[in-house]
Amino acid sequence: MDSEHSHKHWLNQPRNQGGIQGTEYPLLSDMKKQASRDYGVLHEGKGISLRGLFLINPAGEVEVEMINNFPIGRSSDEILRVLDAAQESKKGMVCPMNFSKGKEAINPKDAKTWFSKNAK
Amino acid sequence: MTLVGQKAPDFKLTGVVNGEFKPVALADYKDKWLVLFFYPLDFTFV
Repeated sequence: MDSEHSHKHWLNQPRNQGGIQGTEYPLLSDMKKQASRDYGVLHEGKGISLRGLFLINPAGEVEVEMINNFPIGRSSDEILRVLDAAQESKKGMVCPMNFSKGKEAINPKDAKTWFSKNAK
Repeated sequence: MTLVGQKAPDFKLTGVVNGEFKPVALADYKDKWLVLFFYPLDFTFV
């Protein structure tokens, strides 16, 4: 929602003063609110964006969508977990509840093997 | 409506990239995994 100038100011401010100095990924300015609207995360009443997050695969399709209300921060661990699961899914595997990197995913053609090893 | 399973909407916006103002588009991330996230205002948490 803010201008790129505000973003730069925030990026230049030390972390112990509420800034995000050292952040390496790009911060984009969506002053016209078009991207927020297109992604369905614009709160029309307040005119600002909800805490929406989208995991987009190399083909440009959305794999995961998470939208939090204003006061609720996100979990970087959870975002990395769903990235691992989405990448695993591209190998033809499916990732059950609480899957994380290093755990065994399910081969949908042979789910029985997974159940015999992993289900109690 | 969810966007899951759909093409991600295109965008081209001005961003701060390594301290410089540059245009950034969805197309710049073709063939890469991308985490795109929105937050209400600068100087809040994410």
